[in-house]
Amino acid sequence: MDNVIEVNGLAKVYGNQTALADLDFSVKKGETFGFLGPSGSGKTTTIKILTGQLTPTSGEVKVLGLPFSSLRTSEYRKRIGVITDNSGLYQRLSVYENLKLYCQLYDVPLTRIEEVLKTVNLANEAKKIVSKLSKGMLQRVTLARAFLHEPDLLFLDEPTSALDPVNSMHIHRGLKKLNEKGTTIFLTTHDMSEAESLCDRVAFLHKGNIQIMDEPKQLRRKYSDHTLRVELKNGKEVVLANNSEGAQELYKYMSADQVISVHSNEPTLGDIFVEITGRELI
Amino acid sequence: MTFSMKRALAIFQKDLKDLSKNMYIGSTVLIVILLAALYGRMGEVPLEMHYLVINFVFAMVTAFIQCAIIAEEKEKNTLRSLMLSPASMNDIIFGKSLVTFVVTILTVVLCAWLTGYQPADILPIAFALILSTLFYIALGTILGLLSKSVMEASVIILPVVFIFGFGSFLMSYVEEYSFLAFVEYLPSVQLIELAYEVEEGLGFGDLWFHLFIIALWVIGSAILTIIMYKKREMD
Repeated sequence: MDNVIEVNGLAKVYGNQTALADLDFSVKKGETFGFLGPSGSGKTTTIKILTGQLTPTSGEVKVLGLPFSSLRTSEYRKRIGVITDNSGLYQRLSVYENLKLYCQLYDVPLTRIEEVLKTVNLANEAKKIVSKLSKGMLQRVTLARAFLHEPDLLFLDEPTSALDPVNSMHIHRGLKKLNEKGTTIFLTTHDMSEAESLCDRVAFLHKGNIQIMDEPKQLRRKYSDHTLRVELKNGKEVVLANNSEGAQELYKYMSADQVISVHSNEPTLGDIFVEITGRELI
Repeated sequence: MTFSMKRALAIFQKDLKDLSKNMYIGSTVLIVILLAALYGRMGEVPLEMHYLVINFVFAMVTAFIQCAIIAEEKEKNTLRSLMLSPASMNDIIFGKSLVTFVVTILTVVLCAWLTGYQPADILPIAFALILSTLFYIALGTILGLLSKSVMEASVIILPVVFIFGFGSFLMSYVEEYSFLAFVEYLPSVQLIELAYEVEEGLGFGDLWFHLFIIALWVIGSAILTIIMYKKREMD
């Protein structure tokens, strides 16, 4: 099974409002796939359908080789993990007690708790009551919960929204570790830097449609204006074409010891999104 | 639909621990026990009064605890996490009901001891009490699934406390107001009638009608619980 997720002609309509219109995409095994789009673009609707929480209006969905009708079974849920920006942790219980419940539900030995807490840098917080944790720590406990059973497929719905950069970094490190162990990750976000740092491929979702889908690097190259920005010691900045003529000019500046830095003028994923959809990613 | 005792017990253990730290649940149980202690000190307690306390336990403790713990799970988004885990609907409902069941039985026994209730035949009474507990747990689950928060649950439970807890008081108005005829078939009223017949020396064979009516309430509420849960499972 090469594709962990296969979606064909997926649509979801609420009354007269179309949330998803004819989506087609697939996610390969071991891939980190980013679903990017502004609020209301259909990201969460897609995750809810793929996790069996929402019935599609039409289209075909296959996750881990299972059709939509099997997405509400214990067998499927044993193999997936879901993380949203809402932790879903028991506030009056300790971190350990929360994770213990999920060890029992997923049939995982309790010794895993110490291991996963070390992974998310919370080894010393096991006895802490959840209501006393900061938002960042809460999200790391949620991540630790997803680590417990090392799912084949992990869904993340805006996992680092409203987190500070340090906590986001902790989450990203954890996700990379999980991905290295073989977990396929399906991530929705409107944070372009998050997508760039984590995703092997991204799809831009706008008004319920995928506008473009590719590797972040390929997208940046495709939408690049093929120029270089050179910062000179005299305080000026020159833009050179990324070709042999530009190289000759750059050589001149470098021979004269004039260059402070050279940057390729590739757009960010955010810039590309704006160019394609005509709107910001908020 | 599968059932795993291991998963159900994990949810039960979690709820037991969570409940032990929950002030509003503890204070609700305490109020009912205090009420029973108060009646117990009044000397000879009539059967009607014993069952006022017992029906009050069912409405205030059983239905309310179940309603509140389900509503809190919804409010804090933990029910969604449970639903997305391998725990099936049976595991979740059984696990969450078990803690309410244990608390109810302990409270009923303690209240009966405090009011000095000693039934002539313990078996049919125990059977009817267990059936009633199941009904009020199902009722609490339905109301909990309907509520969005604990605050809403504490409001939504009030008519239940009134109709089921004090339904027997309405019996005297049934002849005057025919629309109140349904009161006669309330599980709380059936329980009292059964208790009177037990005191008159009747056995299981003569009590089947009351047990049947209570069992119908259990089945009806259980079906409604499953429908509600399935609806909530989907967005």
